[in-house]
Amino acid sequence: MSISRIASLTLAVLPVLACKSTPGAEDTNDTDGTDGIDDMGECDVGDGDCEAAPRPGPTPIRRLTRVEYDNTIYQLFGDNSHPADAFPPDEEAGGFDNQADVLVVSPLLAESYLSAAEQLAATHTPTLMQQLPHCQGDSVDEASCEGDADAFVRSFGKLVFRRPLTDEEVGTYVELFARGTTLAQVPYSPDMGVQLVVQALLQSPHFIYRVELGMADPRAGDVVALTHYEIASRLSYLLWNSMPDALLFEAADAERLHDPAELEAQARRMLDTPRAHEAVGNFHRQWLHLDEIEPVILANGKDPEIYPEFYDGLPSLWRSETEAFIDHVVFEEDANLESLLTAPYTMMNEELAGFYGVDGPTGIGFTRVDLDPGKYAGFMTQPGLMALFAKPDRSSPIHRGMFVRETILCQTPPPPPDNVPEPPSVDESQTTREQFAQHAEDPVCAGCHALMDPIGFGFEHFDGIGRYRATEWGLEVDAAGELKGTDVDGTFDGAVELAHRLASSDQVKACVVSQWFRFGYGRYETEEDEDSIAELHAAFAASDYDIKELIVALTQTDAFRYRHAIQED
Amino acid sequence: MTLIRRCPMKRRTLLRGLGGLAIGLPLLDAMRGSLAHAGGSEFPKRFVVMYTPNGTVPKNFWPTDVNSETDFQLSPILTPLAAHKGDLLIVGGVDMLSAMAPNENGSSPGDAHQKGTGQCLTATELLPGNFIGGGGQSAGWAGGISVDQEIAKHIGQDTPYGSLELGVAVQAASVSGRIAYRGPGQPLPPENSPYSAYQRLFGDSLGEPLEIERRIARRQSVLDVVADDYGKLRGRLGGEDRDKLHNHLLSIDAIRERLDKAVIEFGDACQPLELGAMLDVDKIENMPIVGSLQMDLLAMAFACDITRVATLMWTHSTSSAVLSFIDPAIKDGHHALAHKGDEDTVKVHHNTLINTWYASQLASLIDRLKAIPEGDGTVFDNTVILWTNEQSRGNNHDRHDLPYVLSGSAGGFFETGRYVEFSGDTGHNHLLISLLHAMGIDADEFGNPIYGTGPLTGLT
Repeated sequence: MSISRIASLTLAVLPVLACKSTPGAEDTNDTDGTDGIDDMGECDVGDGDCEAAPRPGPTPIRRLTRVEYDNTIYQLFGDNSHPADAFPPDEEAGGFDNQADVLVVSPLLAESYLSAAEQLAATHTPTLMQQLPHCQGDSVDEASCEGDADAFVRSFGKLVFRRPLTDEEVGTYVELFARGTTLAQVPYSPDMGVQLVVQALLQSPHFIYRVELGMADPRAGDVVALTHYEIASRLSYLLWNSMPDALLFEAADAERLHDPAELEAQARRMLDTPRAHEAVGNFHRQWLHLDEIEPVILANGKDPEIYPEFYDGLPSLWRSETEAFIDHVVFEEDANLESLLTAPYTMMNEELAGFYGVDGPTGIGFTRVDLDPGKYAGFMTQPGLMALFAKPDRSSPIHRGMFVRETILCQTPPPPPDNVPEPPSVDESQTTREQFAQHAEDPVCAGCHALMDPIGFGFEHFDGIGRYRATEWGLEVDAAGELKGTDVDGTFDGAVELAHRLASSDQVKACVVSQWFRFGYGRYETEEDEDSIAELHAAFAASDYDIKELIVALTQTDAFRYRHAIQED
Repeated sequence: MTLIRRCPMKRRTLLRGLGGLAIGLPLLDAMRGSLAHAGGSEFPKRFVVMYTPNGTVPKNFWPTDVNSETDFQLSPILTPLAAHKGDLLIVGGVDMLSAMAPNENGSSPGDAHQKGTGQCLTATELLPGNFIGGGGQSAGWAGGISVDQEIAKHIGQDTPYGSLELGVAVQAASVSGRIAYRGPGQPLPPENSPYSAYQRLFGDSLGEPLEIERRIARRQSVLDVVADDYGKLRGRLGGEDRDKLHNHLLSIDAIRERLDKAVIEFGDACQPLELGAMLDVDKIENMPIVGSLQMDLLAMAFACDITRVATLMWTHSTSSAVLSFIDPAIKDGHHALAHKGDEDTVKVHHNTLINTWYASQLASLIDRLKAIPEGDGTVFDNTVILWTNEQSRGNNHDRHDLPYVLSGSAGGFFETGRYVEFSGDTGHNHLLISLLHAMGIDADEFGNPIYGTGPLTGLT
C-alpha cells in the first residue's frame, strides 16, 4: 500500500443533504438539545417527500456480535467468562464488526451457540432454581413445580427475548421443562428441566438476533413504528452494546418509547453509566484502528538498533492511552470533536510517563497530563497511532497521510500500482522526508502521492515509535505539509496546525456522522436516509459538535424509530 | 436416511490433548471409523482443497525440461513433492476468467485478491457489499456455491459432517478469508484451532454410553424447540432476513441430523490424536505445528469416516504474516513480499521459499493419507487434493495460468504423473467441473457458465 499511477483522486461522495433540518435546529443553544429534532414527520422545505412519511431506510435483521453476546450474557447471569471468545470471529465490513448484512451464521457458529448455551445453562441453573421454590427438596409436588416453571419461563424468558413471551411460547417452553425433568439420572429433575429451557432460550432467534417486526398498524404508507420493546433494544445495543436494563423494560411495558422526548431522556440517562463508556470505546477502537495497535506493531516489531527504547509492553500502553484520552474527552471534558482532534493533553500512567519522559503520574491508572500545545494535538499525535502508521525503522508519511484521508476525512484514495518500487533503505544522511521526496518526482508515483505524502509530512516531528523529535539524524525536521482535495485545502506547518485545520472541516464532521451512523445502525447509509443524516448533522452542529449529543441524536431519527412493514414474498 | 447407532461401550482409551487435559474417549461398536462399511467393492471418494494465498513465483513453479506430459523436471517450488511425482497432475494454462471480468456498473465487484479468493472455488462473480478492498473497490461474499460444498451435497450425506473447514492463521473475517460457500452469501469459516476442531468432531463421543444417550435425547428436545422457533420466525420475515434465518435453520438441522449418527469408533487407522500442549493458534511462529495438527486431524477425519470433504486454508488473501519460521531472513509480510518486482531477486527468493514450504506441507498431507490403509491400497488412492491460489502471481495480480496441482487420482479417475497444459482462454470453471466428475457427480456447468462449460479434456 503506497503509491499509484492513477493521478486523479476519487473523493468519497459525501451525503447529499437534500432535506434541510427543521427551522430552529441550527440556532438551538440550550443544553438539553430537544429543539428541532423531535418532530420528524414535518419538514417545511417544500419537498413533498419529506412531509409524506417517515423514511426509515432498510432494517436488516441484526445478529448479536461477540461483544454484544458477551455483554448480554453478563447482564443475564452476571457471567464474565466471555463465552463468545470461542465463536468464529465476527465478519467485518466497512471497518466495523457489527454490519448486519455480512454477519452470518455458519454451521460452526450454530454449534458454538449450542456449546455455549449448554455450558451456561449447566453453570447457572443452580442459581436460577431459586426462582422455583416449589421445585426444591426431596418430595416435589410436580404440579406446583410446573407452576413455578411457568412463572420462570415468563420472567426469565422476557429478559432473554427482550420482550414478553406469547402464551404459545410459554406453553412450548413449559412443555420443554416437563420433558427435561425426565431426562436426567433421577426420575424427576426440575433442575434438568430448567437447564433445557435455558439452553433453548439461548439458541432461539429471539435471543441471537434483534428481531424487529414493528407495530401492526402502519404509520404512513408501508412505514411502521418499531414496538416499544424493539426500541428498548435499539437503545440498549446502541448505547451499551448490551440488553435493556430494568428501567428500559419498564418504559417499554408502559409503552413510553414512541415519544422522542422519552428516547432522549433514556439516552441521556444511559450515557451517564459505565456501560456507555464501553460502547463509545468500542466505536473508537474500530473506527480509529486502535484495535490494530498491539497486534500489528507486535507482529512487525520495531528495529532495536534504531529504537532501543521500544519494548513489547509499549503498544498495550499506547492503546490504553488513546482509549483513556477519548474516554476522558467524551465523558469528563466537553465531548467536543475539536477537543478530540486538538486537545493539548493526554492520559498517562507512571510507566507511560517514563516513555514520554515526563514526571507526574504514579501507579497504573491513567490521569490527565498537559502537553506542549505547540507540539501535540489530540489523538492523532499520540504514540499508538504514530507508531502504527510507521515502519519498523522509521516513520511512514504515506500511511499517516492515508489514515487522515481514509479514516478522518472518509475519502478513498486510488489503489497502489501492482509493481511498487522498493522504498529507499534507511539513510542516515537524509531525513525520511527527503528520501520520500522522490515520490513527487517519479511520474509513476507523483499523482497519487501528492494526495497522501504532503499530509503525512505534517507528522514528521513524530518518529517510528511516536516520540516527538526536533531533528532526525541531526538534521532539522521539516513538517510543512499541504491539504488538497478537501474543504480545508492549503499549506500548514506540523501536526498541530493540521489538526486544527481538520477540526474546522465540514468533511471531517460529515465523516464522523457517517461512521456513527454505520456503527449505530449496523449498516451503510442509503439514499432514503438523507433526512436522518441531515437531522444528525443538524443536531451535531447545534451542539457545537458534541459527540454525546450526536449519540443522543441517533435515537431521534426515522432510521432509528421506524421500519418498512415486512413484505410477504 | 437416519441411522440410530447408539452402541454400548467396550473399552475406554485415555486421550491426552485438548490443552493437556486427559479425556476418556469411549470406543463404541458403531461401524463408523472402520472404513469397512462402504458396501460392495467401491471405496468412498474424498475431496480436499488446499489454499495458499498471494500467488506463486511462476518461473520457479512450473516444470522444466519438459519433453512430454510425463517427461519433465519438477521446479524448485514443487521439489518437495518429488516422492509423489507419479501422483501429481500439474495443470497449466488454466485461467480464473471469472475473476478477471472488469467491474462495469457493478457487474463484478471486488479487488483482485477478493475476486480471486471468493471465486477460486465458485467461478462466479462476487456479490456487491462493503468489504473494503484495494483502491476504492469493495465487494460482498462469493456469489455462488463452492465446488467442495457442491461435492459435499452429493457425497457428504452419509457421514456425520458433510465437510470440514480447517484453517491455519486465517485472520480475515471477510471475503478475503473464506473459500467455502454453501451458496451465494453463505460463507463457511475455517476453524483455526485444532483443539476446538478436535473437540467439535469427537467431543460428542465423550462420556458413559447411558449419559451419551441422555445427552442426545436432551439435545433432540432442545433443538426441536429451537428449530421450530426458527421455522416460525422465518415465515414472518421477508427477503434477505428470511434467507438468513433459513440458512441458520439449515445449520441447526445439520446438528439434529448428526445426533442420530453414530459416535466414533476408534480402531484400525482411526486412532485418537495426541495434540500436545496447547499453542497459541494466532501466533505465526506456531504455524508449522498448528498446520501439522490440522492435517493430522484432516487425515483422522477421513480415517474415521467423519467426513469425506475438507478444505484447508493457509492464512488468507493479502495476509501480512511474516513467515520467518521458514527462513529468518524473511522479514516482510507475505503479501508485501509477493508484491516485489521480478528484479528484486532477494525478495523473489524469499517468496519462492514460502511457496516451496507450502508444497512441502502438501507433500506431508499426501504422506498422511497414504498412511491410511483402505482395501489393498490407501485412502489417498480414492482422494484428489486440489492445491489452489487466488492468483498466479502477486506482483501484478495476474489470474492467468493459476498454479494448479492435483494430487491423487480419485480412485483412478485422473491419469496422474503428468504435466498438462491448456492453451487459449481456458476458464477454471472447466477444472471445477472435472473435479465434480471425478467425484461421480454429473454436471456440465459450474459457476457462471459464460466462462466455460464442460470438463477439461485430457485429464482422465
